[in-house]
Amino acid sequence: MKLQHALGGLEGLDPIVPELRVFVDPWETRIFGIHTAMMALSPQLKLPATPSAFRTVWTWADLRKGAESMNPFDYFKYRYYEKWLGGISGYFVANGYITQKELDDRTAVYLANPAAPLPKAGSPEIDARVRQYLWDGDSPMGPRAVEPKFSTGESVMIADPPTVEHTRLPGFLRNKKGVIDVVYHDAYAYLCSTGPDGVGPVMPCYCVKFDPEDLWPGNAEPGFTFYADLYEAYISPAPLAAAA
Amino acid sequence: MTERFEYPDDREARNAARVRALEALLIEKGVITDATVDKIMDVFTTEMGPFNGAKLVARAWTDPAFKDLLVNDTMAAVAQFGFPKSGGAEGEHMRAVANTPEVHNLIICTLCSCYPWPVLGLPPYWYKDPSFRARAAREPRKVLKEFGLDIDPSKEIRTWDSSAQIRWFVVPERPKGAEGLSEAELAALLTPEAMMGVALAKSPQAA
Repeated sequence: MKLQHALGGLEGLDPIVPELRVFVDPWETRIFGIHTAMMALSPQLKLPATPSAFRTVWTWADLRKGAESMNPFDYFKYRYYEKWLGGISGYFVANGYITQKELDDRTAVYLANPAAPLPKAGSPEIDARVRQYLWDGDSPMGPRAVEPKFSTGESVMIADPPTVEHTRLPGFLRNKKGVIDVVYHDAYAYLCSTGPDGVGPVMPCYCVKFDPEDLWPGNAEPGFTFYADLYEAYISPAPLAAAA
Repeated sequence: MTERFEYPDDREARNAARVRALEALLIEKGVITDATVDKIMDVFTTEMGPFNGAKLVARAWTDPAFKDLLVNDTMAAVAQFGFPKSGGAEGEHMRAVANTPEVHNLIICTLCSCYPWPVLGLPPYWYKDPSFRARAAREPRKVLKEFGLDIDPSKEIRTWDSSAQIRWFVVPERPKGAEGLSEAELAALLTPEAMMGVALAKSPQAA
């Protein structure tokens, strides 16, 4: 497991200085826009075909895999959209859309002349599809093929599956006991298969309630309750003694 | 000793040049158009943003039946407004939790930055900050104090971690002195911070 998977509860960090801005430098809006366009143009979506040259899958899962595979020191070193810029640039090079040399050469051009214009090109169908994606979304909800294994109020134990490259199970919840607070009425897929980690196909989901004292014994603030939404693959029955 | 923690002096200029180079190449290669990024940013300026969440909360403050619907069937409540009825990207499935005199709610995402785009727009930096995500999980009261929000010790804090497919937001308590205000005036009392639980709604005197 990586540090990025288990941030919750980490000690020794600085006081929060709230930064209310969404973007702290104008360039950040451009990488956000590129990422969002990639998600919208990703070929697995049931949206109108366009002349875009984008032909490979890109979802949140791909962005997250990049951030989760970083050296944890780098993860803390780089600002949010710097991580996006690194991951997305690398993706376009790795998938043959551009070469590293093209990117480096063009970067040098814009470094020397930041006001140099962008090229003018593109088909309006591409932008229409991007807008439709933003408006329609990409619901992961699917029909519930099986009845949920757990019911409201039931004590459970959070599983500890191996993490290959991506997980939606926060590390600090692994092997901890919780109580099912809500059995969600519908079932949800994840954007990709996470392999032995266990999510991907449509499955029941739950809101699970935790006593912070169980998560961080003797070291949690009093007077609060912790809840997490979890896929069924991450939940095990409570050991008999705990369920009593 | 180590180069790992060194930043180049021209950090932001390099980032800006690299992202512009990437955008230029993607336009040339036919991946996106010269208008794609601008049009996306326009959506978040005018159509998907905290102004939508503020309208929902203001309605909830004036209409108890709507508040019940917003908390118990959030998507049905959202569908009554003009913004994406099916939710829209990153808001396909949302849940609202209401603050009460006994409970204060705080939304976090310890794994990354899940945020309800159609009703709140894009996440501010504090929400994406690894230190906030780490600390709000174990010591929310202390963290809220650093935001300038003192939660009475008698009040329960509920921290919600957005680790699956539901996107969360908070219905703050209506501030005192807001009686008789219109929905538009009430909406002006709301901030993204209040609707994620690191602040309260502004008081009408301060607004």
